[in-house]
Amino acid sequence: MKHRIRELPESILIFFIVLCLLMFIIYPIFEVLTYPKAKDFVSILTNARYMRTALNSLLMLCLSTLTATFIGFIFAYTVTRTNVPGRKVFKFISILPLFSPPFMVSFSYIMMFGRNGLITKGLLGLDVNIFGWQGLWLAQTIAFFPVAFLVMEGVLQSISPMLEYAGRNLGASGPTLFRTVTLPLARPGVAGAALLVAIQVLADFGNPIMISGSFSVLATEAWMRVEGWADIAGAAVLSILLLAPSLIIFIVQRYWVGRKSYVTVTGKIAQMPIQKTGKVMKCILFTICALVSVLVLLVYFGLIVGAFVNGWGYDWTLTTRYLTEILTRSKELVRSLSYSAIAGFASSLFAMTAAFLVSRKKFAGRRFVDFTCMLPAALPGIFLGIGYSIGFTKPPVDLYGTAAIIILSMVFWNISTGYQTGIGAFQQISPSFSEAASNLGAGSLRIFREIEIPLIKGPFFSSFIMSFIRAITTLSVIVFLSTSKNSVATFSIMNLVSDGFYGKAAALTCVLLAVSFGTIGLAKLLFGKQVTFFKV
Amino acid sequence: MAESHVIIRNLSKSFGKTKVLDDISLEIEKGSFTTLLGPSGCGKTTLLRTIAGFYEVEKGEVSIGNRVVNTVPSHLRNAVMVFQDYALFPHMNIRENITYGLRIRKTPAEEIERKLEKTVSYLDIKNLLDRTPGEISGGQQQRVALARALIMEPEVLLLDEPLSNLDAKLRVSIRAELRQIQQNLKITTIYVTHDQAEALAMSDTIAIMKNGKIMQVGSPSDVYYRPDNAFVASFVGTVNFIEGTVKTSSEEKVEVEANGSLITVREKPADRQIRAPRPGEKITLSIRPESIKMLENEPEDENSFRGTIKNYIFEGSSIRYWVNALGRELIVDVFNPPENALHAGDICFRIDSARIHLIFQES
Ligand SMILES: Nc1ncnc2c1ncn2[C@@H]1O[C@H](COP(=O)(O)OP(=O)(O)OP(=O)(O)O)[C@@H](O)[C@H]1O
Ligand SMILES: [Mg+2]
Repeated sequence: MKHRIRELPESILIFFIVLCLLMFIIYPIFEVLTYPKAKDFVSILTNARYMRTALNSLLMLCLSTLTATFIGFIFAYTVTRTNVPGRKVFKFISILPLFSPPFMVSFSYIMMFGRNGLITKGLLGLDVNIFGWQGLWLAQTIAFFPVAFLVMEGVLQSISPMLEYAGRNLGASGPTLFRTVTLPLARPGVAGAALLVAIQVLADFGNPIMISGSFSVLATEAWMRVEGWADIAGAAVLSILLLAPSLIIFIVQRYWVGRKSYVTVTGKIAQMPIQKTGKVMKCILFTICALVSVLVLLVYFGLIVGAFVNGWGYDWTLTTRYLTEILTRSKELVRSLSYSAIAGFASSLFAMTAAFLVSRKKFAGRRFVDFTCMLPAALPGIFLGIGYSIGFTKPPVDLYGTAAIIILSMVFWNISTGYQTGIGAFQQISPSFSEAASNLGAGSLRIFREIEIPLIKGPFFSSFIMSFIRAITTLSVIVFLSTSKNSVATFSIMNLVSDGFYGKAAALTCVLLAVSFGTIGLAKLLFGKQVTFFKV
Repeated sequence: MAESHVIIRNLSKSFGKTKVLDDISLEIEKGSFTTLLGPSGCGKTTLLRTIAGFYEVEKGEVSIGNRVVNTVPSHLRNAVMVFQDYALFPHMNIRENITYGLRIRKTPAEEIERKLEKTVSYLDIKNLLDRTPGEISGGQQQRVALARALIMEPEVLLLDEPLSNLDAKLRVSIRAELRQIQQNLKITTIYVTHDQAEALAMSDTIAIMKNGKIMQVGSPSDVYYRPDNAFVASFVGTVNFIEGTVKTSSEEKVEVEANGSLITVREKPADRQIRAPRPGEKITLSIRPESIKMLENEPEDENSFRGTIKNYIFEGSSIRYWVNALGRELIVDVFNPPENALHAGDICFRIDSARIHLIFQES
């Protein structure tokens, strides 16, 4: 069995996958790393602006990660471990932002809480400036706590309630029980969640570009370098500054925290009713969850209102002209839809194939494929974007201003999600199916087609739809690649917001959201339990 | 008569629509080893957890040592539980696991150390203290779980199928050990199992449950030889039931006609359940397989019958036969069988008239 003769189509497939990964992931990274000269790196230390930007990023990393993880934990704890009313609703609300472009939080909060904010000025008559680090902090907290929630919900769910019963039975109650049993058991999960959030905060481009004003972070500063000074070397240096911590966090998360978990120690998860939570605790948890939920819902509310009023802040009459204009004349929307559909499909097909090969075959370079497929999860979008804009805008591959460059960046930026789904799916399908088929004389591609594909249809569709949504909502990856010929909806929203055309931007965002949620809803309707998105 | 330690009065409990405990009353003697025995899903765990305080009492009353504990939360009851899958804290080592309860109580460090020393040497787990639960075997985990409970010097020790995760050999040896510890410490113990052999071997008292009701409470020999009803008889051990009609009934003996044959029952009147049987009434005889003797020849005295061997299995210490007789199939156990024991054909046997138990229609 070990030295099975490899069939030709399989070898070609492996060759193709490895080649693509080298070309579209490794090469752009290499290009960014080698683009700046030595003096550009030295300038990090001498350029006060770089230093300040780096410190700003560090500050946001700490603040937003802390609050997002904290709120995520409160949500996860409330949903899995208490009998606080409205748990289902809280869970639903906390998952919504995962299907939405992250920048919409900032955009909506500018409309709600900004100088012309519906709430701050319209309702309360205050003169508040939301631009700056405080606004960014709020927006990132709301945008990224769902990531922490998802991770910790899984972790908390897998802790046997028996252990809490045992603790109670031995004399611990309320806060003592939480401190001595629940929290220590959840600690590896909390660490894992915090690191995932940290990567997202660090790489976040959409929120700071919209809301942080003159408070610049690495991601936005890199963009300014290119936009303002055409200083690609500077942008590359800044994005390398961004990549380093991101990679470290990614590796720590994957290879250290990922292993240190208590989840598997007790096998049987007994069905036990949840113990009643103390009244005071219940009130506190409910209040926090309710407040955050309102903040989440306000985001969507703001966008919808924004899309239908004539002039935000001065003319509150209703109109559908923005929506009509978007739906009838927006080239960007059409591009967004078509590019993302193609990219989503290609990305999940590629990821599933790679996952199949890695989990089922032994070949030289297997570890390389595994690592490289996971790598984009650690790459800040702007880093990959800069890589593509350096690497693929010159001969031999000059894709400047084409649809191809946008689509390719979307494909490879997204493969990690699909790849992980794929690995999970193949792990669950017993290899004995394909062994049986092979035993009966089927070749390996045939096995893939006739045995594995029917079994992974569900995961494939899930990952296709997730890749599609991630592609249609991404801004950071495509921002360096966009020209007037190939720009997509998110890029145009960014420009509209910065030019103050809130109505049109809100309408466009609403359409994107409608597409996102509509796709999910449709998929659920058509495929039911076969497809899952973040466990829903 | 020793005093009652745990008293359960008219306890009922439902999960949603299903009634899981149905008007249960039970008194548990101080220092005794009481087993809750019953088929899967009959509510044993639920009853135990209600005593531990994990489930609220819906109806009825639970008291421990003269104190009604209906509203006392679990951590103040001093009724410590050993869980089926042990529920050892994976984030603590064995030492921390065992001393957890004492530390919560804020027991002084020297005292914790002293008690720990005593408990671990008693249970022979001294060398495990610095390991984590993932690093010790199932049997060792079981001891640690027991140590964690015993170190609390609980008023009542609750055990929910603590041996079910162990292999058969270990189960038998730990069974004896557990019983020994319990007798030395004289700690009131409530033990849940669905294994009747375990219950018979360990208990002072057995409470047999079915569908949330208690069917019988008694000593192991009570429930084995004098079951109150057919359910108890068949759940505890193997049994032959023979239905018949009472012909004569006196202090000394009862004669029952079954399938045209007359069977004499010489159960002591004191062991009879409820009342003396009345001539003409329908009644069930419960006969254990080992109370039937195979005969070499054919004596014509009372309770000897003929039959045909249908099937047999060799069980080491005994042979179990399925014999067609009295118009039915009877199970007969022959202990210490001769090597040339019969395996087929016609045989004679005698039912020990003193070991036949009468079960009335109404029970
Ligand atoms: N948390 C719960 N919610 C709903 N029903 C439950 C719950 N716990 C137990 N039940 C039901 O109550 C009944 C009794 O359960 P219990 O666990 O007490 O049985 P048991 O006698 O311990 O069985 P086993 O020997 O299988 O452990 C079962 O029908 C079970 O399905
Ligand atoms: Mg049970």
